[in-house]
Amino acid sequence: MSLVDWIEGFPELQRKTIVEAVETASLAKVRRALRLLNELTPEQRGRPFTVELLSTYNLEPVLPPLELALSCIPSQARLQLAPLNDLEGHITQNIGVQACDVRVIIWRIEELLPEALYPFSNGFPVQLSSRTEEVVSRVHRLVRLHEAHAPATPLFLSTIALPIHFSNPLFASQHAAAVCGAIAHINGTIYDIATQRSGVYVLDICRWAALEGKLHADALLDFVARQPLSGRGQVGFALFLARCLRPLLSPARKVLAVDLDDTLWGGVIGEDGLENLKLGHDFPGNVHLRIQRELLELRNRGILLVLLSKNNEADARQPFDCLPEMLLKWEDFALRKVNWKPKHENLREAAQELGLGLDSFVFVDDSDYEREQMRQLIPEVLILNSSSDPLHTLNCLWTTDAFDSLTVTEEDRWRHDDYRVRASRDVQGHRHDLEEFLCSLQMEATIEELGSENMERAVAMIGKTNQFNLTTRRHSRAQVQAILGAPGSIGLALRLRDKFGEQGIVAILLATRSAQDGTLVVDSFLVSCRALGRGVEDALWAALVERANEAGIHKVLAEYRPTPKNGIVANLYDRFGLQRLEHSLSSTRYALEPIEVPRPPAWIHLTQKGNAKQ
Amino acid sequence: MQSSDSLRHLLVEFFDLPANTPAEEITQPGISKWDSLAMVQLITELQNRFSIEFDLEEIQTLRSYQEIHDTLARKGVLLV
Repeated sequence: MSLVDWIEGFPELQRKTIVEAVETASLAKVRRALRLLNELTPEQRGRPFTVELLSTYNLEPVLPPLELALSCIPSQARLQLAPLNDLEGHITQNIGVQACDVRVIIWRIEELLPEALYPFSNGFPVQLSSRTEEVVSRVHRLVRLHEAHAPATPLFLSTIALPIHFSNPLFASQHAAAVCGAIAHINGTIYDIATQRSGVYVLDICRWAALEGKLHADALLDFVARQPLSGRGQVGFALFLARCLRPLLSPARKVLAVDLDDTLWGGVIGEDGLENLKLGHDFPGNVHLRIQRELLELRNRGILLVLLSKNNEADARQPFDCLPEMLLKWEDFALRKVNWKPKHENLREAAQELGLGLDSFVFVDDSDYEREQMRQLIPEVLILNSSSDPLHTLNCLWTTDAFDSLTVTEEDRWRHDDYRVRASRDVQGHRHDLEEFLCSLQMEATIEELGSENMERAVAMIGKTNQFNLTTRRHSRAQVQAILGAPGSIGLALRLRDKFGEQGIVAILLATRSAQDGTLVVDSFLVSCRALGRGVEDALWAALVERANEAGIHKVLAEYRPTPKNGIVANLYDRFGLQRLEHSLSSTRYALEPIEVPRPPAWIHLTQKGNAKQ
Repeated sequence: MQSSDSLRHLLVEFFDLPANTPAEEITQPGISKWDSLAMVQLITELQNRFSIEFDLEEIQTLRSYQEIHDTLARKGVLLV
């Protein structure tokens, strides 16, 4: 995980102080870093982010490092610590949770099931097993309580770490009712809950503690203050928590641009020839094979792969065609830029062709020169590795947080094919008249109400869509649900299918109803960059205006708020025929009055799917 | 009184005291924010900074600059 990358937008003094605080794990330095962060403007610090912590042990002494780590996401972090070990009581009292962006429950065996530490004094095995089942029921009950009292707030449940201090540790692993088995059972329940429930995630403290080893714990502090973490452990835990919560605020990178020679295989194809490349099950070819495995896994979960190689294309293709050990196929890359142009130029072209920002890219290359040139010429690109050693590159792939996400949706998993088809579509587009081409795509769009079924995708899109986004309001799940809950509001999603297959939800529209005069006010309007230039915005807009008309609304207000990335929609409402009301540097306001329902594009077959608003 | 400027500096920084605070004025009764929470955090800070572990008796003797200085010295921490 790279704290340095998180805070690269901070001024140098703050960056230096934060790094020193983390390296020394000194509380005085942590406080100094927090004071310096407070001197920054809100824009420099990032979004406000309120985290509620419920814990069975005392986290009060750990609040400064927690606040510092969460501030580095970056965010204007604020921590609310619930009363010690009063989980059910606090959740049912609803205090302040509405204002929270996320709730985190942290527990351990010492409070949750202390009997497990002394099995033979506590009815091992029968009675102890039934106590473990009671804890499992308690975990389920807590989640239901949370969902009843704070349905819009994401919940992170910690797993239970294996205790460090207890007697007879060998026996503890020999029976399902003993402590290791009991903890595995409770943790299994927590993984199941996160699998089944949207909005519930796992803070895997068990995995963290295993990686951190014994040094994270301090028995003396636990006895003195019921706080089990050592100084180093506190900082390590704080960074771990920050990494887990970070995807709520920062979208993952979307593309990995990767070099060929000495990365995907050992050796240089153009010089060493096919028979001398190192790739396979023996060292060092097995390291390169493993790099390919990692890349293939990234691709299969929705990260786009782009090949950037200074080679003759015929040479570069040869191993893909002829080496049976090659795991990655030529077609696995959404784009291939194999030529002799500078890599930064190729990367810029790739960004344009894919319709993605430069800050969506991660770059891997064994050459110091190529990495340095990329760093200087396109600072938005994240450089993954810092040496030519393939094992180092593999390590970076294992530990990077650049692609961190809490969920992987069906849409993510189709993305790769989708972009690849898109690139070939662009070529086809030149051959046809545009409308004829669009008709040939056989697009079918379904207009859906926003609700629990599509909420995850909608919130993800709201969080990361930059280009086709009229207002760029980064609403949290809770904020979207609050908007939908208000009287008269309309939330719509457009789901697209074409002859290439299911494209998933590609456009979102959110509008609220003014309590004063009943005007409909468009809050957010965005289209995924995968679906640009296909008329889906026209179809969704027509659906909104039609609903407004049916609801007897006389006026629709809309707004364009410019950002460095959304110039593509600067004149969208002009094109839709809305009247300009006011124009300033930060906003252009529009009105549609009287209501006239536009005709949706002829090349999209539209259906409506009505379901109740949640 | 024996003194160490690095320990004084650590405590001044930790309790956010004026930089020229004399070592003998750094005592628990004299510093209002030196409460039980700060005590726990101070134990953590000292253990971490000097790579030591206190025992039960030692943590009762960390109530002033002088006590901390003497306890650290007994544990063989070289203060300058």
